[in-house]
Amino acid sequence: MAAPAHETTIRLSVNGRIVEARTGTDVLLIEFLRERLGLTGTKESCGVGVCGACTVLVDGRPVSSCLTLTVLTHNRDVWTIEGLADRLEEADSSGGLRRFLDVRRAFLDQEGLQCGICTPGVVVSAYALLQTIPHPTNEEIADWMAGSLCRCTGYQSIMRSIRAAAGVSSPEEPQETDAGQERPAEPGGNGAPGCHDAPV
Amino acid sequence: MRPFEYVAPERLDDALERLGRADGETILLGGGTATVLLMKQDLIAPDVVVDLGRVPELGGVDARPDGGLRLGATCRLVELEDSAAVRSTYPIIASTAHRVGNVRVRNVATLGGNLVHADPAQDLPPVLMALGVTVTLASRRGTRQLPLDAFYLGFMETAIQRDEVLTEAQVPPPPSGFRATYIKFTPRSQDDYGTVNVACALVLEDGLCRSAALVLGGVGATPLHIRSAEACLSGYPLTGPRIAEASRLAAEEIDPWDDLRGSATYKRAMARVWTSRALTALTAEGPEGGARR
Repeated sequence: MAAPAHETTIRLSVNGRIVEARTGTDVLLIEFLRERLGLTGTKESCGVGVCGACTVLVDGRPVSSCLTLTVLTHNRDVWTIEGLADRLEEADSSGGLRRFLDVRRAFLDQEGLQCGICTPGVVVSAYALLQTIPHPTNEEIADWMAGSLCRCTGYQSIMRSIRAAAGVSSPEEPQETDAGQERPAEPGGNGAPGCHDAPV
Repeated sequence: MRPFEYVAPERLDDALERLGRADGETILLGGGTATVLLMKQDLIAPDVVVDLGRVPELGGVDARPDGGLRLGATCRLVELEDSAAVRSTYPIIASTAHRVGNVRVRNVATLGGNLVHADPAQDLPPVLMALGVTVTLASRRGTRQLPLDAFYLGFMETAIQRDEVLTEAQVPPPPSGFRATYIKFTPRSQDDYGTVNVACALVLEDGLCRSAALVLGGVGATPLHIRSAEACLSGYPLTGPRIAEASRLAAEEIDPWDDLRGSATYKRAMARVWTSRALTALTAEGPEGGARR
């Protein structure tokens, strides 16, 4: 057990419910969500903030829960994939969660997933994109989603899903090499954002 | 990760007081994107973590009366991207902040954390060096101002002392005829660190280069001011041969090493190419030409 100095009491909102807990200072948000609250929809993959599988919303903005100390979410508003899905049952005057339904349906319709491990993070991130930019261009989608890695479907179906969710469809159908990279040379040439050392 | 004592002061004085106490390894936390990563990998294992996020005087982005900017240490990179003051005064700072990592990093990482991390391949340090930015360091002993040139000492090493907090960055007002560009050459993925980063700020008047600042990142232990190239450009028209000579000097003056982003030879060649393209973009386009690159 951690010494008392290594624990702290936090109070935060998770999926619209207030949570008060005593937690170790070294507990990461993804550990807190999955192990303490049982919210296992959020996945850990790379563990270094690069792949985006662990994306959750803190105060409405996407963050990597694998690099977030739980103590830093004190008094903050956290949403996970489960919360966004559950809230669909409730009245939604803002229309924001309606958009989540659009995103989820689009990923099914457009086959934006295969094995599914990256999907909770991809969907939360895509939802946050459309909350920020309701009608993004291909370039804006690729730029925003560059921090979310998928190893199955490739990125075209994810791009297609997000365009469908946003109601901006085919005219902007990108070329195969145009999935968000604005660089001159590209080893492999499939336009996939690669997994590399963590940015700062 | 090793458990630690977590302290979240609400006043700068309290943070400085805590930092001044010599009871074990103490580290300051901005957004934690770099620090938590280092802690997870057991590269650092602090006894005490001082979270600066609740100290109001460290936040904010303000337009100064003289036309410059004050950037608070705990302002998030996304704030630099979105701030109306930054976008109107120095769009180059907003567009460079947007090139850092991915959206999740920029939502959390702070300017102060970014500056003290001191990895030579980072995006903002070369740009802010080219703009003549000064940082303010506070401790119980008082405050001091340091230009970024004097702040960076070596690979992940700065002039900040154990009892000091970086409180803000001061950006001088842009002179008339000011243009700047930043090129991050990423042959791998968009969210990677650059293989070679080129920041260039010029004062141009009727095609004549009144002054030049050229800083390259990722090609040495710190961001490097290329003094020989600056001297080659200052006071002359920006002609093709002069740009070629400045780019040659840049490639000569840098000190790159082999790593996973390229060999030293490759980086030297790319430094020459991208310096030339940065300078050419600045001659060809309007104010802050090429800033979106």
